[in-house]
Amino acid sequence: MSAKRAKYGMVIDVDRCTGCGACMIACAAENNVPPGPADSTDRTGITLMRIYRADNGKDFPENESVFFPVSCQQCDHHPPCVSVCPQNAVEVDAATGIVAQIPVRCLGCRYCMAACPYHARYFNWWDPVWPEGMERELNPDVSLRMRGVVEKCNLCFHRLQTAREKAAAEGRAEIIAGEYVPACVEACPAAAITFGDLLDEESEVHRLSQRGESFRLLERLGTGPKVYYTSEREWVRALAEKDPASTPGRTAATD
Amino acid sequence: MLPWIYGFTWQTGNVIFLSIFYCVVAVIFGSFGIAVIRAYRDLTSGRLNEIRWHVDFDDLPEFAKTCRHVFSGEIEYQVCRNGFDCRSCKTHSGIIGVHMGANASYTGNESPSGLTIQSDCMYHRGHTWVHRESDRTLTIGLDPLAERLLWSRGKAELPEVGSRLHVNGAGWYFRNGGSRVRVLSPVDGEVVAVGGRDEGFYLKVNPGDDSDLRHLLKGTEVYPWMTREIERLEILLGADGDGINLADGGVLLDDVAASYPELNWENILAQMLLES
Amino acid sequence: MPFGKFVSLMIPWTILLLIGMYAIFLCLTKGLNQTNMDNRFAFGVWIFLDLSVIALGAGAFFTGFLVYIMKRDELRAVINSAVVLGFICYSGAILILMVDVGQPLRAWFTFWHPNIHSMLTEVTFCITCYLAVLSVEYAPLVLKNKKLKEIPAFLAMEYELHRIMPVLAGVGTFLSFFHQGSLGGLFGVLQAHPFAFREGLAIWPTTFFLFIISAAAAGPSFILLTTWIVSRISRKRLVSESVYTLLARISGSIPLVYVLLKSIDTFTWLNRTVPQMGLSGMSFFLWAPFNIWILFVEIIVFGLIPSLLLIFGGGRLRAGWLVASAALVCCGILLNRFVMTIQTLSLPTMAFDRFMLYTPSWQEISAFLFVVAYGVIIYSLSFRYLRLFPQETELDRN
Repeated sequence: MSAKRAKYGMVIDVDRCTGCGACMIACAAENNVPPGPADSTDRTGITLMRIYRADNGKDFPENESVFFPVSCQQCDHHPPCVSVCPQNAVEVDAATGIVAQIPVRCLGCRYCMAACPYHARYFNWWDPVWPEGMERELNPDVSLRMRGVVEKCNLCFHRLQTAREKAAAEGRAEIIAGEYVPACVEACPAAAITFGDLLDEESEVHRLSQRGESFRLLERLGTGPKVYYTSEREWVRALAEKDPASTPGRTAATD
Repeated sequence: MLPWIYGFTWQTGNVIFLSIFYCVVAVIFGSFGIAVIRAYRDLTSGRLNEIRWHVDFDDLPEFAKTCRHVFSGEIEYQVCRNGFDCRSCKTHSGIIGVHMGANASYTGNESPSGLTIQSDCMYHRGHTWVHRESDRTLTIGLDPLAERLLWSRGKAELPEVGSRLHVNGAGWYFRNGGSRVRVLSPVDGEVVAVGGRDEGFYLKVNPGDDSDLRHLLKGTEVYPWMTREIERLEILLGADGDGINLADGGVLLDDVAASYPELNWENILAQMLLES
Repeated sequence: MPFGKFVSLMIPWTILLLIGMYAIFLCLTKGLNQTNMDNRFAFGVWIFLDLSVIALGAGAFFTGFLVYIMKRDELRAVINSAVVLGFICYSGAILILMVDVGQPLRAWFTFWHPNIHSMLTEVTFCITCYLAVLSVEYAPLVLKNKKLKEIPAFLAMEYELHRIMPVLAGVGTFLSFFHQGSLGGLFGVLQAHPFAFREGLAIWPTTFFLFIISAAAAGPSFILLTTWIVSRISRKRLVSESVYTLLARISGSIPLVYVLLKSIDTFTWLNRTVPQMGLSGMSFFLWAPFNIWILFVEIIVFGLIPSLLLIFGGGRLRAGWLVASAALVCCGILLNRFVMTIQTLSLPTMAFDRFMLYTPSWQEISAFLFVVAYGVIIYSLSFRYLRLFPQETELDRN
């Protein structure tokens, strides 16, 4: 086991994001998210990574839009979902800083979903069912979640396990940076997502997160998310803290 | 939850929370357990009659629980809290201490609504009379109001000779089909003879050495009590129907129940005989 | 009331009960996809129902507290009715909670691995304990039934249970304080939702205290309301005028205190809590249909006006006015619970987020009505066969 304390996080360059949705697909496939039944909607489906679109509210030709891939923000400081769970089904891994849901202990009360400011938690409204034959494509490293429990992004924790096992097999105590990368990061065709240990001062992710153009969503809540966004555009950075009421009707969520 | 359960921590908050929880659970189940044990003891130690009376008395409306000293005009307003047992009542002993024997000289024979009150009898709140015989035994019968209510209400089930009675315990019953009416025993003692309606009395009781009859109404108290009980009966009758005038020309009918068969007599009798 | 008429009155409620049972069956077997709740509206009308009935059921603890601890014997006239109402409300709430969670069979996990920092843990522990208390308080009422009382064991049990009542009333009050408060804290701690978030006094957000007071306000009002309704339907006088007046005074003064504290809390929140987050307090009221009217209605129409009517109209106004005012107080508490659950979740939290509404499915509404029908039926049976109002016989003079 790794003795060194890490704090995994990512920086998403929203100027590069095209909203293609590859990260969402990669995430769902990697984490064995079942396809939603016919009567599911964008409000009941499970998208551990979800892309939101926002615009600057101006008319053509000044109009501009931006895409925000939002997964669990991996809050570092008093994550709201951890303290509200009545049965300790959300745990923060002290060694990696990863906030993880424990589906087998989840009661499905959904209080954590109400408590999450990023709407990053999803409930299994249906029994997980895969079309005939598709179950052969399931990822053996990720256990399935049953109906009636909450799930969320855990930064592909199973990939960290795999990396650790590989390191151990090779006689190393530590994994090498780059050995552990979540599926969404890997899938992004625009290479908009940089992933790594925020505590490692030599890492790219640390450097990017410290740039002036980097920001986090709803930083005012003091939850210290470990997912950073970065943009050269002033109005995009302002969106992070903007009062939603100041732009009613001008923004919309997309899948 | 418990120290050996996975995930348990000895954090102060955790310990305080769980301690309070265990205390609350202990109090809830502890008090429930105590109630169960006490109930078991009550059942085995034969306190049941006492309890039955206690429960019934508790349920009586305040109007029916007026203190006897209100009838005699000695107190303005007082509701009995002592189960009509003046022998252990502080109010009663206090008042009796002041003017002992105020009633002793009373000899009038009055008849509220045609019900004759015998001046040589003592009356119990459960509508029985007690007469002390020269051989120290006590004769017990139904008072005229109860007699008229129970005229056609089935057969008296009297206790066996030799059985013991307790004040405010069950004296005897009237059974009518499936329903049963209880008559409270006015005195403590051993049954020495049984009678019936035709004999003019129901029980003869030997009170033994202990024949404290302070709790029975006598003298001037009886008339106002009886008047009030007739009023109570009228209320009960009115409650179920459209207001019935009981006293036909000022005299209570001989067989009230038979005259108004449509009423819920089971309930009315229970109320009148303090079974509530 | 003749048996036939009683049965005919119960038929519509039984039908409602059966439809509700079918809906609950669907939700338990097919899962919560039978509801219209979604990942955003993780809490729907059921949580609103839970909060509401628990507030209305607070009459049980509050009356018990006044009767057994404060020795206000006048209120013995309504204590039995209050206990039955409390039992109905709490058992109904727990029943719906069991349907509302995704994995009801894991309910014991909360006891096994409790997270004491969660308000929901406090709520779960307290309401299960309190339901046990209410069941023990309800038992003697049942045992006191004329036929059951004939059985010696029941009689003795009834008598002995009655003797431990003050202890239970004390425990009930203690538990009620905490879970009513925690239900408020449930939303007050949500820093994600500045609309619901409140700053703390000691370790609890202010909603913790507001919920306790508002529940204490709703309880007596609901007892006043139900007593009057039952009295109208059964055409019997159940409690004396003085009890009505006392109940009116209680259910007037507590809401008045509540309205005052709620106003102070709202102003603090508007002028301190929200600006500290860099938001404008009034911006929460820009989203139709939940505009500023809702705050006005909650505080003035459902709060200040009825409580003044109840306090000053106690001896002068006709019963109809008192009852209407008590109904308004109850509505005020219901509106507050609605605002805390539904409005909180409908408001967006991020700039690129949307304002959302949700329409409950028929299964959710039926399950909701199941609790109402269940309450009406249990109460009616209790009223018919048990002795809910000890003064009834005494007052029944034409």
